[in-house]
Amino acid sequence: MAYIQFEHISKRFGNNRVLTDISLTVDEGRLVTLLGPSGCGKSTLLRCLAGLETPDTGRIILDGEDITDKRPAERKVSMVFQQYSLFPNMNVYNNVAFGLRIQKMPRRQQQQRVEEMLAMVELQGKENALPRQLSGGQQQRVALARSLVTRPKVLLLDEPLSAIDAKLRKSLQQRIQQIQRQLNITCMFVTHDQDEAIFLSDIIHLMHQGVIEQSDEPIALYTNPKTSFAASFIGNYNVLNGTAFAQMVGDAMTPHDVAVRPETINLLLDAPENEPDRYVLPGEVKEFSPHGNVIRYTVRVGAQDLHADVLFRSFKLFHPGQRVYVVVEKRNCLRVN
Amino acid sequence: MKHDGKQRLNLTVMALVSVYLILPLMLTFLYSLFQEWTSILPTGLTLRYYADLFADPGFYMPIVRTMIISTVPVLLCSLITLLAMYVVVVHHPRWQKIMQILCTVPYSLQGVILAISVLALYSGLPLPFSDRIAMLVCTYCVLILPYTYRGIQNSLNAINARQMIEAAQLLGCHPLAAYLRVVVPNLVSGITVSAMLSVSLLFGDFVVVNIIGGSYYSTAQMYLYKMMFRSGQQTSAMIVILFMLTLLISASVLLLQQQRQRNAQVKQEEADGIHTV
Repeated sequence: MAYIQFEHISKRFGNNRVLTDISLTVDEGRLVTLLGPSGCGKSTLLRCLAGLETPDTGRIILDGEDITDKRPAERKVSMVFQQYSLFPNMNVYNNVAFGLRIQKMPRRQQQQRVEEMLAMVELQGKENALPRQLSGGQQQRVALARSLVTRPKVLLLDEPLSAIDAKLRKSLQQRIQQIQRQLNITCMFVTHDQDEAIFLSDIIHLMHQGVIEQSDEPIALYTNPKTSFAASFIGNYNVLNGTAFAQMVGDAMTPHDVAVRPETINLLLDAPENEPDRYVLPGEVKEFSPHGNVIRYTVRVGAQDLHADVLFRSFKLFHPGQRVYVVVEKRNCLRVN
Repeated sequence: MKHDGKQRLNLTVMALVSVYLILPLMLTFLYSLFQEWTSILPTGLTLRYYADLFADPGFYMPIVRTMIISTVPVLLCSLITLLAMYVVVVHHPRWQKIMQILCTVPYSLQGVILAISVLALYSGLPLPFSDRIAMLVCTYCVLILPYTYRGIQNSLNAINARQMIEAAQLLGCHPLAAYLRVVVPNLVSGITVSAMLSVSLLFGDFVVVNIIGGSYYSTAQMYLYKMMFRSGQQTSAMIVILFMLTLLISASVLLLQQQRQRNAQVKQEEADGIHTV
């Protein structure tokens, strides 16, 4: 039986429908991500689980218990917020110990638990520092320790790393993953960053306009998107409608859109031999832009522009206006809805 | 050179402002020390008017009354505003605009109009509505509401109160307890500033207390008013005493606050020292 169950959750804010009949399950000890663009309802769904929003319809079951109408304090769910939300008047120790004090835990036990947590997030020696004296990364680690110290059933993370610079974000992602595995705690992570979602998650629920677009393991979602939105959001796919694709490759029409991942496209100067399992299409380089270790080329093929990601090797650059052959394996042209 | 010139200008402006603010007080103080002043220069200096004031048994009660009537409405108004802000922050964030308008209205109310209106409306009603002290306290609460609200709202703007309460709730806290334990301590400096402003405003009030309180509640300002017909020097002495009293109250509050901050800092530095060792 699933540890968390969302059953037909809908939510409106005035005339704005934010969640539409969402049903999903989360198994115990997994790290699950709600991924999607801003305004898709991912944070609202998380807040419904936390009890900070009440769904208009549906119910939420946690560990076999219906918690839909329970107060946030009764749910045994903790949350790490984007803006940390540390208590500015309390030092690190008191911030972390806050939940234990509410539970009226004996002082000695409190101290032991807080020290454990601070060691886990590597913040020993910062017990007396006030939040304003810490860096963003340190504040986020305090927030994480504060959320974990009460040993919640579920840890919710609402875009916790989006206010942190890229380099530090990577190390915090690893820290979160490490802690999640160490404690074997069920986590729900909200992000709009596909790389973060792919790196961290056991399962990704991709959301779009208040519905779950696709739920899958990260690699499956990346390599096998089921919809045009999933293809364009998760992997920067080239998404072409069926007619345009048929015209481009000279095949029979297909009613479905076709998605092609940029890194599966090869660009060649000389025409390769025709083989039945691949398309070879003449094209012209329109422009290119470096993206870290890859160069993204925009190539005009017939009436379509295709993006192709090529590993950045300075001796193999194509220039705008150059004639090239675009080679795509047919199995990499995915039909999507 | 350019920097020096700018600094000199700043110092000159500050000096002029200081003179402008201190000069009337200094003159009042000097006047309170003069014996007779019927010729070009006074005949001599004396502390007699201060001694007379302190010897007058009717001098102390108005001072005590003034202190009570200046602090009780401030405490009451701060408490009510804090609770109202809790409702706005936690339950109805959209009401903030209404709250802002309501709390700004008293700015435009003249003390005389407010006092006469309150008297006309409530004096015919049964107790406790027609109780003069209750009327005075409530009228003062209305008068100082804009200052209290602004102080609290400004402090609230500096923190994400709603999210802090949500975080505390998820750690097992009731929303009201979360507000009191997590949010209110961060509003203390804002509340202190607005409270001091309100206390000094009420301390110097004569119009409202004279209309509503009248003979029921004689304050220092009313005592001062009566004294104006007796002796100019004694009136000046009274003004100086009242000024020193408000200065003492303000300085005590500020010192207490600074002491609190210094203690926290020392504690922090001690802890840092221990950890670096």
